[in-house]
Amino acid sequence: MTVVVLDNGGGLIKAGIGGEREPLTVIPNCLARPVSSKKFLTGDQLLSPTEDLTSATVRRPFDRGYLINPDLQSTIWAHLFSTLRLTPSHSSLLLTEPLFNLPSIQRHTDELVFEEFNFKALYVADAPGLVHLYEASRRPYGLVSKSQCSLVVDCGFSFVHAAPVFQNFCVNYGVKRMDLGGKALSNYLKELISYRSINVMDESFLMDHVKEKLCFVSLDVQRDLMIARKRGNDNIFKCTYVLPDGVTYTKGFVKDPAEADRYRTLSDGATGLHTEKMETDQQEHEEKLENKNKIDLTKNEFSLTNERFLVPEMIFRPADLGMNQAGLAECIVRAVNSCHPHLQPVLYESIILTGGSTLFPRFAERLERELRPLVPDNYRVKISTQEDPILGVWRGGSLLASSPDFETMCVTKAEYEELGSFRCRKRFFH
Amino acid sequence: MDEDMSNSARRMSTRTRRVAPKMVAALASNDNRTQAVLARLEALENDNPGLETVEVNDDSDASLDDDDEQVKRQSKGTKRKTRQAKALENAKKAPRTFHELLHEANLESLPRHVPTYLRAAVGPPSSVARRHFCTVCGFSSNYTCVRCGTRFCSTRCQNIHNDTRCLKFVA
Ligand SMILES: [Zn+2]
Ligand SMILES: [Zn+2]
Repeated sequence: MTVVVLDNGGGLIKAGIGGEREPLTVIPNCLARPVSSKKFLTGDQLLSPTEDLTSATVRRPFDRGYLINPDLQSTIWAHLFSTLRLTPSHSSLLLTEPLFNLPSIQRHTDELVFEEFNFKALYVADAPGLVHLYEASRRPYGLVSKSQCSLVVDCGFSFVHAAPVFQNFCVNYGVKRMDLGGKALSNYLKELISYRSINVMDESFLMDHVKEKLCFVSLDVQRDLMIARKRGNDNIFKCTYVLPDGVTYTKGFVKDPAEADRYRTLSDGATGLHTEKMETDQQEHEEKLENKNKIDLTKNEFSLTNERFLVPEMIFRPADLGMNQAGLAECIVRAVNSCHPHLQPVLYESIILTGGSTLFPRFAERLERELRPLVPDNYRVKISTQEDPILGVWRGGSLLASSPDFETMCVTKAEYEELGSFRCRKRFFH
Repeated sequence: MDEDMSNSARRMSTRTRRVAPKMVAALASNDNRTQAVLARLEALENDNPGLETVEVNDDSDASLDDDDEQVKRQSKGTKRKTRQAKALENAKKAPRTFHELLHEANLESLPRHVPTYLRAAVGPPSSVARRHFCTVCGFSSNYTCVRCGTRFCSTRCQNIHNDTRCLKFVA
């Protein structure tokens, strides 16, 4: 029987068939209505290169990482299954769900799966377990596989989880969560650009693109802030993004990719580069701001400098940006510390990064620099990023769905009808 | 008494309900700085932050192509009308926020050793040494707005802050 594997994230849905290496599709988990239209678009319609999503109104079934609007989710799934020609009533479903999902949301999810879509059977999995499974299977003789242990750090759309995995199961009491993710970063970028040059508060899709193309993690924020003040060619962070004009371009793009890539020439970790010109820089900087106030709004482009690294900086130091939360390195330490002392060295040595936000260039390097001083000297710190941090969870799901035991792990529609959601759910947790 | 509460909650207009969590939190604290921090978190999680007034009842045209419904209808053709009717009815209600659902789940009542959403929160940073960035231009800031606690670096940025953001989200 076909197993539909659905990694149903707050930002993206990854959907495909169990046993395959690649999902059939990856779509935004939302509806969006372009300004010129009365109709909401979804799924593949949002991926069309010609669709102008400028200032589109976005509606999402998820809030803070959890499903709050099952009707909207149902609409999106119905379209998804029909475009992929999947027949739920002849399939099982492997579905991911966020850690610590609320019972009321689980009940709604089960209703969707069994009563609305009529799937034959359901297995619910969490992301850390699937990521661990996938990585362990890739290296059968590696530490993750032999120790059956890892620390999965998932930087998703709505939150970041540091989740210890032990004996191939996520250890719930050790999980630590930061309440910010890719969505908050995109919104922060919107704010920065809107207050500095041009109002982009309505441009969700565009700003995701800007973030993905142009943001990177700084290895030395003080140094990079100084570089970002420089003028002309000395400012290797400065780059320009062209907005769609609705006529020639329906999508935005980076004006000069070579210019945008200049930050890579920075020698890692060098400090105090060219600090001598600080005072004049301050003046120049103020002049520049004045110019920005006079910016021509008909000109369809804006430039970025320090926004490029201040946005991902939020994950490492949320407190510096007005959010009273520990940063990623401390989040990991707290997760590890809540596990048995014997496990701790193994967890630090098998940190796996996954989730879209870990794709920012230099993410893992920065994390290691922040984490190393917080970890006992005699422990090793080893951080690896998944080969594809967006698809990693789905691939783990695909692997699990093709295992011989999979059918026996599922709850069938008949069992659901007999026992109800609450009692069926107990089976998914050891 | 419980019933009274839920009835009055149901009677609240959709608009009020959408704003409610922010208001409740803001009212619970009487200083502007706390309110500003809460409003900030709220703003960073907003789907359509640019819209001044949030459209709550625009679901009626949220329907997609008819064949999408086909998948669901295949095995339950008779129930199709009721489902559509239900969807339309539900669309009239504002979607509930996660914080409302969280509140209903009453996780506080669980014993301390049970891992929950609430207990998984990472908590505040241990180090008090913070770097401060100007909220307007992003460079290092040495000043704090006396009204809302937001950081800025120069008179110019302070003016922009006062004009565009200061206490903007606070009722
Ligand atoms: Zn400033
Ligand atoms: Zn202020």
